[in-house]
Amino acid sequence: MKSIRATSKLAAAMLVALLAGGCAGTMRDYDSELKQTVGMASSGNIDQALQELEKNNSDANKDLLYYMEKGELLRLKNQLPESRDAWLLADEKVKIWEEEAKTTPEKLIGNIGSVLINDKTRRYDGQDYEKVMLSTRLALDHLALWNWDAARTEIKKTHEREAIIAELRAKEVANVEEDAKQRKVKTEVKDLKGYPVETLDDPEVIALKNGYQSAFSHYLAGFVYETLNEPSLAAPGYRKAIELRPDVKWLEEGLKGLETRARKLKPNESDVLFVVEVGSAPARSSVSIPIPVPYKSTWGAVPISFPVIKSDKSVFLPTQLNVGGKNAIPVHPVTNIDAMARRALKDDMPGIVLRGTIRAITKTVAQKQAADRDGLLGILVTIAAVVTESADERVWRTLPSHILVGRATLPWGNHTIGISGPFGTKNITAEVAGRHTLVALRLMGSSLYAATPQYPPQLLAAAEAVDAESAVAVTANEAPKAQVKKKAFKPKIKPEPTKGVPQ
Amino acid sequence: MNLPRSSSLLLSLTTAVALGLGGCATTSPEVSSGPVKYGDAKAVETVTNEFGSTDLQTIAESMARSMLQSRPVTQSRERPLVTIAEVKNKTSEYIDTRAITDSIRAQLLKSGAVRFAVDINAMQNQTDELIRQNQTGMYKKSKSKKIGQMEGADFRVEGNISSIVKRTSDIKDVYYKFSLMLVNVESGVIEWADEKEIRKTSTR
Repeated sequence: MKSIRATSKLAAAMLVALLAGGCAGTMRDYDSELKQTVGMASSGNIDQALQELEKNNSDANKDLLYYMEKGELLRLKNQLPESRDAWLLADEKVKIWEEEAKTTPEKLIGNIGSVLINDKTRRYDGQDYEKVMLSTRLALDHLALWNWDAARTEIKKTHEREAIIAELRAKEVANVEEDAKQRKVKTEVKDLKGYPVETLDDPEVIALKNGYQSAFSHYLAGFVYETLNEPSLAAPGYRKAIELRPDVKWLEEGLKGLETRARKLKPNESDVLFVVEVGSAPARSSVSIPIPVPYKSTWGAVPISFPVIKSDKSVFLPTQLNVGGKNAIPVHPVTNIDAMARRALKDDMPGIVLRGTIRAITKTVAQKQAADRDGLLGILVTIAAVVTESADERVWRTLPSHILVGRATLPWGNHTIGISGPFGTKNITAEVAGRHTLVALRLMGSSLYAATPQYPPQLLAAAEAVDAESAVAVTANEAPKAQVKKKAFKPKIKPEPTKGVPQ
Repeated sequence: MNLPRSSSLLLSLTTAVALGLGGCATTSPEVSSGPVKYGDAKAVETVTNEFGSTDLQTIAESMARSMLQSRPVTQSRERPLVTIAEVKNKTSEYIDTRAITDSIRAQLLKSGAVRFAVDINAMQNQTDELIRQNQTGMYKKSKSKKIGQMEGADFRVEGNISSIVKRTSDIKDVYYKFSLMLVNVESGVIEWADEKEIRKTSTR
């Protein structure tokens, strides 16, 4: 009796979802929606991209993704206060999730809706790396708006957010393991015949400590704390960045120079952090995998959709920036959001597989029982089961796919910053002022965007009084030359020139 | 109505308490819409095994007590003038060591045994104030504080905090070591040093 009631409930839910059609999140094709938006942004049409975003989000109740994407597009448009405000609205939604994660984690870990219909019925709380990136990007907006205290608040929020995520995920893993054991369901991806396992078993993905901590967020924390003269907090920022990306040796320079960097600066010089963001975060698409399901004495196969992330390996990563047409500043890839997205999916897969398998069993039972009672109802339930079956493709797509960082001492004033690549050379003019500043660039397709720092008037006046191009030479913050000289002691190895370090 | 003396006293006390409580209720009404409550700031906190309020309070109390018993403090003819240099954070955790040194300084100052000179982080505010009083032309010369009258510290406090973190799938063990020392600024002699160790273990 109980199973018949459950079956009716499922059949009704699927039919309602089917009749509700495209207006409900159950049928939303986020990948196609954002493909257009990202394409427009990549070809320099930000206004069009914003219009497209608004068109796809006509509902009065905007979701987290809308505010995330909007904040990013407005940042590309250099409308920094508006970008910050959109992200602050997104942040309000993440705070609701945080509160639930702290007080009622069981609500977030179990969600029956996805078991009945598909994972899109779950409220979108953002991927873990997106929640962390949101506060990091808010910090970037605050820095460009020259509000270092607000940036510090966001940086601190990043650490707290990471701790909440770690705690909740540990509980979720234990919960999924226990549930899978009780239901005797295999949750390993390799058991899904036909799933492209190689996308998740990529060395870049496996090398990550987890799917939400990024070296960039922690390096930025180090930079902000250092600027605010809080070396005891800056040190763990740089240290964490090194721990997260031990293969990027340049990160060690952040920690090594912490005590001396500020002292070495001359009166009209600035310690500049260059942040170069490239591409857009990878899309999630659906792949249908048949799940074998027993019913009475026979076995059937029910196609269930699972999310897949295909990495874009063709993205161009610059190795250096050109300042004033004569000085090269090396930039280093410290964060790979493409790999983080796949790592997040890899870590989520046991839960997704468990929910998918339960859904396959429930759908089979519903279809068979509906068919046993009424042939037409059975056909309807089968159609609804097929139509509503779709993987959750929602991800923050306008995020960059890679973040590169470089650091140099620059004289105050206007500088022409160039990036060369397959698209030729793209230049922007950056105003440098203050003891520490951040120059943020975004390369999307062949379009180069910059978030222009909005300095206080007195800083700007001081900077404009300096003729930057003819002033002191630019000094890249790279490993000291002595380290390169060491190679000269090995007779068989020819000493390499210090690439990009201005002489 | 004649009440026995003890009953009368009891009634008076009850009335006084009721009035007292009533008064409290009138002046401090409680506004609450959710499960928010105040707790004891000194309560032992074991929510996670990251550096927390109990660790900060334990370190500050232990170090302040130890320093107050040290020879440079107890055997000095005048109250020594001390400044706080940086306490280096050698861990990978975002520990605000300034919050620890602020607590140590507050406890030392409350004891009255030492005086503190502004540290390097407060120096900018100090010089800004002197410049404002002496160079803006807005203050009476006789009432403004003179430049060049600041006192140099006899001692400086400096130190570091380090940690060792070990974990298995079930256990996370964190060991913190906080070291502090008092250096005679003129002679460069380390006059006092102490350490505080903390071990925190959590299981899943």
